[in-house]
Amino acid sequence: MYRDYGPKNVKFFFVYKTLAHPELTGNYVQPFTLDERLAHARQAEKQLGATIPWLVDDMDNQLKHALGDRPNSEFIIDPQGVITHKRAWSHPAQVRNDLEQLVGPVDHVTKEEDIVLQLELPLKASAARGIAPRLKRPRMQAIVVKPAIDFQGLPFFAKLRAEAGNDLLKSGAGQLYLGFHLDPFHDAHWNNLTKPLSYQIEVPEGVEIEKLVAEASQVTSVSDADPREFLLDVHAWPEGKTIHLTVKYFACVGEKSCYAVRQEYDLILRHDRDAGGARGEGAGYWDPEEFATRMLASDKDGDGKLNEKEVQGLVRPHFKDFDTDQDSLLDAEELTAVSDWLNHHHQPGAPREAD
Amino acid sequence: MKCSAMFGILLAVIVLPAITWAQEPKRSEAEFVTDHPTVGDPLPDLVVYDPNGQEVKTSDLRGHYTVLTFGCLT
Repeated sequence: MYRDYGPKNVKFFFVYKTLAHPELTGNYVQPFTLDERLAHARQAEKQLGATIPWLVDDMDNQLKHALGDRPNSEFIIDPQGVITHKRAWSHPAQVRNDLEQLVGPVDHVTKEEDIVLQLELPLKASAARGIAPRLKRPRMQAIVVKPAIDFQGLPFFAKLRAEAGNDLLKSGAGQLYLGFHLDPFHDAHWNNLTKPLSYQIEVPEGVEIEKLVAEASQVTSVSDADPREFLLDVHAWPEGKTIHLTVKYFACVGEKSCYAVRQEYDLILRHDRDAGGARGEGAGYWDPEEFATRMLASDKDGDGKLNEKEVQGLVRPHFKDFDTDQDSLLDAEELTAVSDWLNHHHQPGAPREAD
Repeated sequence: MKCSAMFGILLAVIVLPAITWAQEPKRSEAEFVTDHPTVGDPLPDLVVYDPNGQEVKTSDLRGHYTVLTFGCLT
C-alpha cells in the first residue's frame, strides 16, 4: 500500500510506542530513556524490513495516550490535520479501501507475494540465557517504577520490572515481583565471578515488606544474561506511599569492560498502563510440533508442504537454508528445524513443566 | 507450548512485528472509535521524534493524507 499510495502523496508512518509485551522475542525490556527508545525504533526498522518510516513517541507516551492507548491502532489524517478514519487494530485491507475513496484507486495493486521484506533477526545476547532459574509470576500486573536516571552516569544495563499481584493492588497486601532484566541494547552480562546482584528497600512508615534486603542466588556459570528475580510478601503498602529501592550489581560488556553498578528507583503501587504485559518464563518459546502445524496453516495448495511463496516473514529470506533436501518445499521436519533455529536465536529458555 | 496464543505470537513476532496484543482489558472497537479524538477531530498537536532523535511535530504532517499505525518490537 505504501508503494501504491506513496506516489499519490499519501504519507505512511509507524509510531513506535512503549512495548506491549516486554521479555518476548529478543528479550526486549521497556526503555528508560528516549535514546533507548530511539534505538528500539531503529531496531524495529531492521526487524520489520519495511521502508515505511517510523515516528517515536516521547517517554511520557503522549501520543499513545492522546490517541487511545491501543497497541496497534491506526489513523488516517487528512491534509488539514483532521482525523478521517480510526480503528483500534490495524487493518491494511480496510485502509486500502479508505484510501481508494479519499484519493482514488491505483493502477497497480501491489500484492503480498510481490514483496520480499529483508527482515533482520532480533538482538541476541552475547551471554547465554536459560541458565538461572526463573520465577513464575501468574496474574501480576506491572506497577510504576521510576528510575533515578543520571544521564552522565552508567546506563541501566539491568532494568527493574516490578509487578504486583491483584491482592496487592486491591488491598495493599500480597505479592510483589522484582525482576532485574538485562537490556539487550546494552548487551551486558552478569559477572558471576563476584558478588551477585543485591537490593535494599527503604520504606516509609506504614509499609511492611519482607526481604527488605536480599541477594540473588549465585550462578555457577562465569556469566549469563538471565534476569535476577525476587518474589516478596508485602503485608502493608498503603496508597500513596512510595518505596525506594537501591540495587547493586556487577555487569560486563564484552570481556574487559566490567562495571560495579549502583542504581536507584522509586516504586509506586499503581498499575502502570504503559508497561505492557510480560509473559515471564518461557515466553516466546516455539514448541517444534505446534510451530510446524501452525506454519502449515499457510499451505494454500494443500500439498502438506510450504513453497517459498507460502512462507511469510522472517523465515522467507532463509528459505533455502532450511530447505535441506533442496526440493524447494519446507515439510514438517524442516519446519521443526526452523523452530529450533528461532529458539536458539531468541533465547527464551524452554518453559518448565507445570508444578 | 505454554502459550495458547502461539499463532498470534507467530504473526506478531515473525510476520508482523508491529502487531502486538492488548495490554489491559479493552473497551470495544465501537467505544474506541467514538472516544475523542474521533473522526472529524484534529490530530493532537504533539512532538514526536524520528528514529535519529530529530523532533517532529504532528502538525508537520499536514498537507497530505497520512496513515499512522502504532507498533513496537514486541
